[in-house]
Formats: sequence, structure tokens, C-alpha cells
Amino acid sequence: MLKISLPLRLQLSLIIVIGAAFLKHYAWYNLLVYGAIALLWMGISRVSIRKLGGLLGAEVIFLSLVALPLGWEKASFLMVRSLICLIIMNSFLLTLPPHSFGIALKGLPLPIPLKENLLLAGQYLEILLSEVTRMQRSAQLRGLNGVGGWLRYASAAMIGALYLRTLERAERVYGAMVTRGYNGQLPIDSTLTAKERFTLIAVGIVVTCITLSSYTMPI
Amino acid sequence: MHIPDGFISVPVAAVTSLASGGALLVSFGRSQTAFGIRRAPVLGLTTAFIFAAQMINFPVAGGTSGHLLGGALAAIILGSPWAGMLCIATVLIIQAVLFADGGITALGANILNMGVIGVWVAWLLTQTLQRFLGGSKARLPLAAGIAAGVSVVVAAMACAIQLAISGTAPVNLVLASMAGVHILIGVGEGLITGGVLAYLATARPDLLPGEEQKFRGWLTPVVGILLVAGVLSLFASAWPDGLEKVAENLGFIDLSEQVRIVVPTPLADYGIQGLGQIGTSIAGLVGAGACFAVAFGIAKVMKPKNA
Repeated sequence: MLKISLPLRLQLSLIIVIGAAFLKHYAWYNLLVYGAIALLWMGISRVSIRKLGGLLGAEVIFLSLVALPLGWEKASFLMVRSLICLIIMNSFLLTLPPHSFGIALKGLPLPIPLKENLLLAGQYLEILLSEVTRMQRSAQLRGLNGVGGWLRYASAAMIGALYLRTLERAERVYGAMVTRGYNGQLPIDSTLTAKERFTLIAVGIVVTCITLSSYTMPI
Repeated sequence: MHIPDGFISVPVAAVTSLASGGALLVSFGRSQTAFGIRRAPVLGLTTAFIFAAQMINFPVAGGTSGHLLGGALAAIILGSPWAGMLCIATVLIIQAVLFADGGITALGANILNMGVIGVWVAWLLTQTLQRFLGGSKARLPLAAGIAAGVSVVVAAMACAIQLAISGTAPVNLVLASMAGVHILIGVGEGLITGGVLAYLATARPDLLPGEEQKFRGWLTPVVGILLVAGVLSLFASAWPDGLEKVAENLGFIDLSEQVRIVVPTPLADYGIQGLGQIGTSIAGLVGAGACFAVAFGIAKVMKPKNA
């Protein structure tokens, strides 16, 4: 994979997705250009084709359920356009190193309260998942298995118990974070360099031109 | 209900982004004063919790499935619809940016539907229903469960209207199908929300809002009027009123067809063409909203300066 920083990769993915999603209906030639860009992005990211295929397969089933009742002609354009957006975003996601989405998100121009909440939510998701594992292990140790075992995890009492257990751990973790000097900000720098800014602007201009041309050219 | 990329038009995406962006900006200030840094773990964890809960789909009739939206749950656990909005918006941003669930370009629309409309409908309805049910803490799960179910249907209808305005699907088709499926999902949402709150009320009652009345004077009548206009209007009689009946009997009903100037109105006969009963409901809501706006405007203009 090319050495592109996480914030730049995320911002480039977002710009291309926005450009593709705003194409005029039935602008197939412009969509073809975005398709080529998506494939190029997929190649640059060196995403695993098997993983990407599996994920896209599940997403295409959902998309077809939504789009097919609209008629074949409309549905095919909507689905291809959405598929290109999915390829671009998933190429970024599937090559994202673990524990690093906070760094990628920090580069986005979002208000501080939202960023802080995003970072904490990401942090607590891991605690939540570990609590789920612990609760599953406790259930197994108590012999609570069987075919209908999944029903237990869908019960309101179980969901409530999971919330309370995780909250207690989350409060302890937050206390430790504050003690170590956490003030709502990640202790890393995620600003773009001058070269990266130039790349971002150049790609932004190209994408804008492709999308705008779909509105000016006859279909 | 997550709208994917490419399903809504540029104007709809722009307007919904502006609306949800504005609502979020207000919520930052409000939730900070209501919440503060001390309770940051509760906000962060509730966000993570609702994100995880949204990953678990439950089966709904017709081969489709639904999942918890969590707007009502977030607003009630956090004790503030502003913090609830922030929580749902964060979940939607994570889903769109990191999991390609819901489009980047449709993020504004998704935040508006689930984070603003879903949360506020659930919050206002919970407060009103709880007051109708006696205002005790024990009735909170019931009130919140009903409100959560209704909020899902209202949010789905908003989503359907956006898709229709974008020209993606005909309004009668998308509105009826979205409302139909989400009534079933709403039942699941209501059961989970009510159940979780009932558990929390027993295990950690300090996490839920207390017995004190937080209601504002205008809330119950306004939400009551909207409920009557939006829900009870569906059961209104389709028979002609007294004058129409007399005109039919005496044979002068056709005179109304001979007027020279006809003013076109989209809400003729308290409905929207092609939408059936849902059209009646929307017409009722629009009418009630318009009457409230006019009355509010007149009251503002007529108010004495020293009042």
C-alpha cells in the first residue's frame, strides 16, 4: 500500500464518494469514470478482494431489496452508483489498522463535542464487546446453552444488565483517562502536510468537474 | 431506514444537511450545559451501546428485519433530548464513515430522520404520555415504549418523503411501504425500550429521570393536538357532513363544480391524492402545524409591549 496518512485516506475516500453519489441520474459515462477511480483506489489500498467481495455481497443484497421495486432501469443506475461508493469506502475501511479510526476521524472538520463523543464511543465499544464475551462465558459456565440460547441475549433484562456492567467499567476507564491527563483530545497530531493538502485540493477539483459535467452534458 | 449514497437528490441532501447541522449546533451548547464533562462516560457509553444494539437485527414479517433505533432510549437515559441527538448523530457518523451503513451524502438526511425527528418525537411523546398516565416513575417504561414505537414510524415517514422529493420512488409507493414495515419495527423498538427502562428502573433507578415534573405548559396540548390530527384523523368518518348531505338530497351539490375560479390545494378534502389514509394523517399534521403557527404569530403580534 502507498504511504498515505490515515486522515488523508479518509478525506480522499469521502470526497470521491460525495462526487459519485451526486452524479446526475443515468449519467452512465461519468459513472464509468468513477468506476475506474474506485478500481484504482481499490488497487492503491491493496484491499483483500475476498474480504471486499464478501462485504459487498451482503450490502448488494440489501441495496437490491431497496432499489429493484423502482424498475430495472432506475434500479440498475442507483445500484451501480451505490456500489461504487461502497467499494471506495470499504477499500479504506478494510485496510484501516485496528484501534486507529479515532486518528482518522480526528482529521475530519467536526465540532469538538462530536469528536470527543466519537472517540469515547470507539473506546467504550471495546469494553462493551469484552463484557458481552464475559457474559457469554458466565452463561456457558452456568450451563445456559441450547438451541434457543440466542433468545437470552435478546431479552430486555440482559440488554439492561450489559449496559450497567459496561457503564461501571466505562466510568473507571474514564477516571483513569482523566487522571492521565485526558482533556477530550487524542494526544496525536493529525493535521495534513502542505503536499497532502495540495493532493486533496487537486482530487477535489477533478471530482467536482466530473460530477458537474454530468449536469451539463446531454445524457 | 439508513438511506444509502445516491438515493437522495442534491437539493434534498443539502437542505437536510443544513437542518440537521443547525440542530446539532444547538445541541452542542444545550447538552454541554445539561450534561457537562462529569457525565461524559454516560454519553460515550450510551453512544457505543446504541451503536452495538443497532447491529442486532430482529426478524420482521415479510422477510425483512429491523433493529433498535434507540432515540427514545438515549434521550431518556441521558435525561436530555439534546444529548440524545448528539448520541444518535455520533452513531450515524460512525456507521456511515466506518461501516458504509448509510450514505456519506445522505448523512444529513439520516441524522435528521433518526437523530432529530426520532429523538424529539420520542421525547415529547414520552413526556406527554407520562403525564396522561399519572406522571409516576413506574409508568415511564410504558410511556417511553409507546413513544419509541411511534417515533420509529414518524422517522420512517420522513425518510419516505425525502426519497419521494428526490424522485427516487413514487410517494404513494414508498410512504405506504416504509410506514407498513416500520409499524412492525416500531413494535420491536417499543418492547426493547420499555423492557430496558423497566430493568434499569429496578436495578439503577438513579440513572433515570426522577418523579419531578419537567413538563412545560404548552407541551401536553400541542402534542395532544398533533396526536389527534395525525393519528385519530385516520378514523374520521368518510360520510358527507350535514350541508353536503342536504345539498345531495336537494340536488344542488353540482353547483360547487360550476365555480369560475378554482384554487388548487394539495390538501383538498383533508388528504393527499394517491396516499389514502396516510395522506389524511399528513394533512392533519400539516393543518394542525399551520394553525399553531398562525395562532402563535398572531399572539406575538398582538402581545402588549410591556407583557
